[in-house]
Amino acid sequence: MTQFTHLDAKGQAHMVDVSAKAITSRTATASASVRMNLATLELILSGGHAKGDVLATARIAGIQAAKRTPDLIPLCHPLMLSKVSVELTPDASLPGIRIQATCKLSGQTGVEMEALTAASVAALTLYDMCKAVDKTMLIGDLRVLEKRGGKSGDWCAEDSALHQNSVLSPSLPDSSLSDSALQVRFFAELREQLKQDEIAVSLKELELAGYPFTVAGLCQWLSQHQQELAPILNRAGLMVAVNHKMVDQTAVIQSGDEVAFFPPVTGG
Amino acid sequence: MFVVRVQYEVFDAGAEVAKLTESRTDVGAVTTFIGLVRDFNERPDVQALTLEHYPGMTEHQLDLIANQAAERWPLLGVSIIHRVGRLAPGDPIVFVAVASAHRQDGFEACHFIMDYLKTKAPFWKKEHTASGDYWVSSRSSDQQAAERWEIEHD
Repeated sequence: MTQFTHLDAKGQAHMVDVSAKAITSRTATASASVRMNLATLELILSGGHAKGDVLATARIAGIQAAKRTPDLIPLCHPLMLSKVSVELTPDASLPGIRIQATCKLSGQTGVEMEALTAASVAALTLYDMCKAVDKTMLIGDLRVLEKRGGKSGDWCAEDSALHQNSVLSPSLPDSSLSDSALQVRFFAELREQLKQDEIAVSLKELELAGYPFTVAGLCQWLSQHQQELAPILNRAGLMVAVNHKMVDQTAVIQSGDEVAFFPPVTGG
Repeated sequence: MFVVRVQYEVFDAGAEVAKLTESRTDVGAVTTFIGLVRDFNERPDVQALTLEHYPGMTEHQLDLIANQAAERWPLLGVSIIHRVGRLAPGDPIVFVAVASAHRQDGFEACHFIMDYLKTKAPFWKKEHTASGDYWVSSRSSDQQAAERWEIEHD
């Protein structure tokens, strides 16, 4: 089995001596993502953000961070990076921003820690830039996508996933929801009363308990299952939407649906 | 022909009207409505309000409302812009503009769009006052105003 290189024979942490390793060209790419409210993403893209150009700032932060990696990670070698690039791609399907950082050098040790640090700090900077408008942002998908050069040779997350039959995939799907799950969301006063904006519901459980796959069935099951939901789902004027369309209690629901409950609307 | 936007920043009503009539000469009327934040509502001394919405669904609903208006009246263009986030009394909050050949269609369509927006678009207001914060209740008069269009249409 492969050993941890940062531990010596006594199990103590030490910095690996790389003096004898060949100087080769090495590249590593890491990714991360920041999920946010669609409105936050729109604000970033419209350039209307009070703190200025969010994406440009996060990109520079990522590049700076890569250069400071040995200051942060104890056993990391200081490296003369020859290239650092950080790309931020808006993705409405998250919704949020996907980050990809690539580091390069000619040297004796790999640069995946630099790429991971760049991706992390770019994500943290996005959070910092946008926290005033959205505190629910979720940073995730932090991983090495690809590594080239050096003794251990080329490595790619995609190939590795195939060989090891791993569940990882390069574009991580929305992992919070399985096939038979519904996403149930709450807005405005309901969200505040519940102190949460979203729950996942398994349709299998609904089926086992004998409730029909309708909005009414879901309401009954939720009221039964989570008592604090009963008064909320029975409130006068409760509105329901399935997949962004206003519906009534008889509407049919199926796996993958987004069901939203909210109080009467008060815009305009 | 349809512009639907949800945004934090203020809108420029003049620029939006100009976009509706730009390089065309068949528009005989542009009817606009601008809603502002009042300093009194359920309680006096409203200091600010926070508007929340349901991203994705809001745009879908506003688009639906614009399309319904265009089915009822011969319209040449519709703009609906709604702001979200924290707003102070006097701030513009919603903008509706309808371009048509004749004024009657424009007035009615604009009225219809606002009545439907008030009862069918997922926005919620929370008012901040000296005596505390609270979520604004819906009004039955808004509901009745929207229902009126359904009766007249039959």
